[in-house]
Amino acid sequence: MSYINAMLDRELKKGSAELLILSLVEIRPRHGYEISKLIEARSDGVLKFNVASLYPLLYRLEKRGWIQGRWVEKAGQRRRRYYKLTREGRKVLAAQRSGWEEFVAAISRITGAERA
Amino acid sequence: MPEWKSDIRKRLASLKLEPARENEIVEELAGHLEDRYQEMLARGATHEEADLAARTELSDGQLLVRELNRIERQLGAEPFALGARRKNMLGNLWQDLRYGLRLIRKNPGFSAVVVLTLAVGIGANTAIFSVVNAVMLRSLPFQDPDRLVRLNESNPERGWPTFSVSHPNFLDWRERNQTFAAIAATSSASANLGTAGEIEVVRGSAVTVDFLAVLGTSPLMGRNFLPEEDKPGGATRVVMITYGSWQKRFGADPDVVGKTVTINDNAFTIVGVLPESFAWETGSNFELLFPLAPDPQRSRGDHRLTVIGKLKEGVSREQALADMNTIAAQLAEQYPESNKGWLVSGQSFYDWMIPEQIRRSLLLFLGAVGFVLLIACSNVANLMLARATARQKEISIRIALGAGRWRIGSQLLVEALSLAMISGIAGLGVAWLATKALKALNAGDVPRLDEISLDGRVLGFSLLISLLTGVLFGLAPAIHAARTNLNEMLKEGGRSVTGGRVRQRIRSMLVTVEVGLSVALLVSAGLLLRSFWRLQDVNPGFNADHLLTMRINLPRNRYEDNPRAWGFYKRLVEEAGALPGIQAVAVTSGVPMGGGNTATQVQIEGKPAAADGSSSSADWRIVSPGYFRTMGIPLRGREFDERDSEDSQPVTIISEEMARRYWPDEDPIGKPVMLLSLGRKTYTIVGVAGDVRSLGLDSDPAPMVYASTAVAATWNPMNLVIRTGGEPASQVSAVRSTLGSIDPNIPIYDIRTVDELLSNSLGSRRFTMFLLGTFAAVALLLACVGLFGVMAYLVSQRTHEIGVRLALGARPGDVFRLIIGRGMALASAGSALGLAGAWAIGRFLESMLYQIKPTDPITLASAPLVLLAVALLACYVPARRAMKVDPMAALRYE
Repeated sequence: MSYINAMLDRELKKGSAELLILSLVEIRPRHGYEISKLIEARSDGVLKFNVASLYPLLYRLEKRGWIQGRWVEKAGQRRRRYYKLTREGRKVLAAQRSGWEEFVAAISRITGAERA
Repeated sequence: MPEWKSDIRKRLASLKLEPARENEIVEELAGHLEDRYQEMLARGATHEEADLAARTELSDGQLLVRELNRIERQLGAEPFALGARRKNMLGNLWQDLRYGLRLIRKNPGFSAVVVLTLAVGIGANTAIFSVVNAVMLRSLPFQDPDRLVRLNESNPERGWPTFSVSHPNFLDWRERNQTFAAIAATSSASANLGTAGEIEVVRGSAVTVDFLAVLGTSPLMGRNFLPEEDKPGGATRVVMITYGSWQKRFGADPDVVGKTVTINDNAFTIVGVLPESFAWETGSNFELLFPLAPDPQRSRGDHRLTVIGKLKEGVSREQALADMNTIAAQLAEQYPESNKGWLVSGQSFYDWMIPEQIRRSLLLFLGAVGFVLLIACSNVANLMLARATARQKEISIRIALGAGRWRIGSQLLVEALSLAMISGIAGLGVAWLATKALKALNAGDVPRLDEISLDGRVLGFSLLISLLTGVLFGLAPAIHAARTNLNEMLKEGGRSVTGGRVRQRIRSMLVTVEVGLSVALLVSAGLLLRSFWRLQDVNPGFNADHLLTMRINLPRNRYEDNPRAWGFYKRLVEEAGALPGIQAVAVTSGVPMGGGNTATQVQIEGKPAAADGSSSSADWRIVSPGYFRTMGIPLRGREFDERDSEDSQPVTIISEEMARRYWPDEDPIGKPVMLLSLGRKTYTIVGVAGDVRSLGLDSDPAPMVYASTAVAATWNPMNLVIRTGGEPASQVSAVRSTLGSIDPNIPIYDIRTVDELLSNSLGSRRFTMFLLGTFAAVALLLACVGLFGVMAYLVSQRTHEIGVRLALGARPGDVFRLIIGRGMALASAGSALGLAGAWAIGRFLESMLYQIKPTDPITLASAPLVLLAVALLACYVPARRAMKVDPMAALRYE
């Protein structure tokens, strides 16, 4: 793989990972393990996040003020940290989502045309 | 159940997080692993398998630590977060500041160059501003300085705008005016203080009773003079001493009031001690105030007094002058012979004590250091732009990640401001050194220079220009970054081709301006330098080599009449003249360039006063026989000699200028002239002496008349001039002991060589020239460093292009010429700009020049030449480097 491809791959993952996480906490707050399971399950195992890649991302998004974590204790369980989307995060998500959709549409127009 | 926490904690140890935060992370990650473990068990895995699966999650431990490091360390330590929108401005500022400071620490070389450059600029500005502050801005050390006025007599008909005041006129002013709360007269008086063997000459002032009231002060101890002590024939042997004198001479004796001191061989009673804040005259040997005792019987034509007044509340200076001139008109009617044509002029204390010329020089300096700072700023702006190019990628990633352009721009600005503030602090150090140097350099012409200090106003100024500087050099890169077009940047890729055309244009423009500013400064310094050289070549009219001068103050009670005083001087001249190593000795009332002037009205038979009046006056000096020979002044006719005495027909020697003006077509020798200030007698001209520039090398010789000491020896103080064979200073002790053998109670003071006087008379010009020359040199250096930077950068950016050119057959010489040509084009454009600027400055400078026009072609031509020569040097190294570009290497770099 060329240098350009490697870079593209890395940047794509980095950019899209944020989008994934923001989408997953859009409806309701979730904790880290839940997020990682959801990503793996919904992508049929194509995308996997482990502790080392997931949590730094969560912390970064929290630091930027896009999501907010809170310790929640439920009966009979140890406490977990739930992340919810902030107002700011909601705006970013909308922007990233439409950007992503445009991007995917553009890519598929190009790659689709090749195929046709 | 496995223990995850300690494992995770170990991995995070190197991050040195805050304990609370670390606990949180450990708990969360451990929870995640626990969930994974439990899930595996639930799926039927063994404990070992589940444990392995959980630990695999941590396998990329290095990544975890690295990523967390970037996020968790500190607020400002997170490049990704930078530029992100934030909720509070203060947080942004704090973040930017810490980020900026970290960058400064990370690039010590770059930061040092910037700080050094700016510190010089800011320091020079602060130093000059501290002078302006002390001299011009700080209020004068008197109460209500705005209400203080100096009053002069003036005679516009004779071209005397400010003239001292006569005793009776002062008394009439004091009595008749309606507009002054207090009015006082003063005249400076040296005094021989002490008794035989320990006599010292100290400075003092004779003052009238209201003097302290005008200045708004009163004695610290004791009392002011009483009205009856301030009258002729009154008990005038009383004195007030300054605080410094009380400390130094009387050991701060609390009972000093009432004690007596010997002054000019008489016992004076100390009646008061002045407060420490009393600042009429500075200098440690200003010690005494005497009663002036103005005398209504003295001639109204004898102008000697300095008059000061304090306006009544609410009265303007114009109203007061109108009032005074009404009095002058009454006096002119009452005493037409002495007062006709005399008016009253007045100036504020500020205008009087801080002459226009000094204010002008200071403004010139302030402008010049301003230029230096501007040049420093453009240099730094250039450096910042160059670095911004290198940081292009960082900035574009941040913008791509959603950072606001405004945030990026403001972050760069904050970075520039923190650099500027650091430079400002360093600049204060530079300023402190510079003010010390300025004080040491001052030739004594700038008043209040010893009051220079870095006070609140100076610090405020320094802060202001530091901020301004930061904005100036930070703005260009900030605006540029904020305008960065993502598309364009992506097109240029990670490696920009020429650093961006726009940026290169800004850099060239900045350098052009720098060059322009320094050429303007070079021209100004050049004009002053050429004036100075012209002045040094001016013939003063006498031979200043090996000429010693000193002052003598004859006590009036023992030398009250002319025969006694003249007898003393005759003996002194004879005995000192006989000393080995002394070639000639004479006495005069005023040494050329010794300061002060005396003038008289003259009447010439058959020549009525010219309509403009100016032609009927002349300067006068009293000189002893042998004066012209001693001074080396050429003389036609004869010197004064023993034939001249009080009983013989009065004779005078006039100057060439006087002869030219009044006897243009005839020989004046033998002609009569009436000198009003010298006894209103008619003198016969016996000689014509060469012109002497007595007031300074830059003032043209005025008509001069000389009278013999034999008829006017009571003038005080007199100056001894001594022509020596060897080193003049070596004769001082011999002269002193000769004087002691004639009269042990007369000290000599103000011992100087005439060379020194000459050199002092050029002191303020030398000071101005030196300062401006220094600024111009610094400017030249900075501008050329700037040019070098731009050219070196250009070469490094165009290495590829140059490689292609060389590969396509260009010879190294062509490349060399290409680069040099580009540099010279910038320098020439800047020079043209500078000459235009110099033209504008020249008009301001005109009054400081001597026989040089601001458009002096030699100066105007040589300043750009000097600059181009240095610029050539600055371009040489980059051009050589360009020439040596290896085409293969340059292309491979692609």
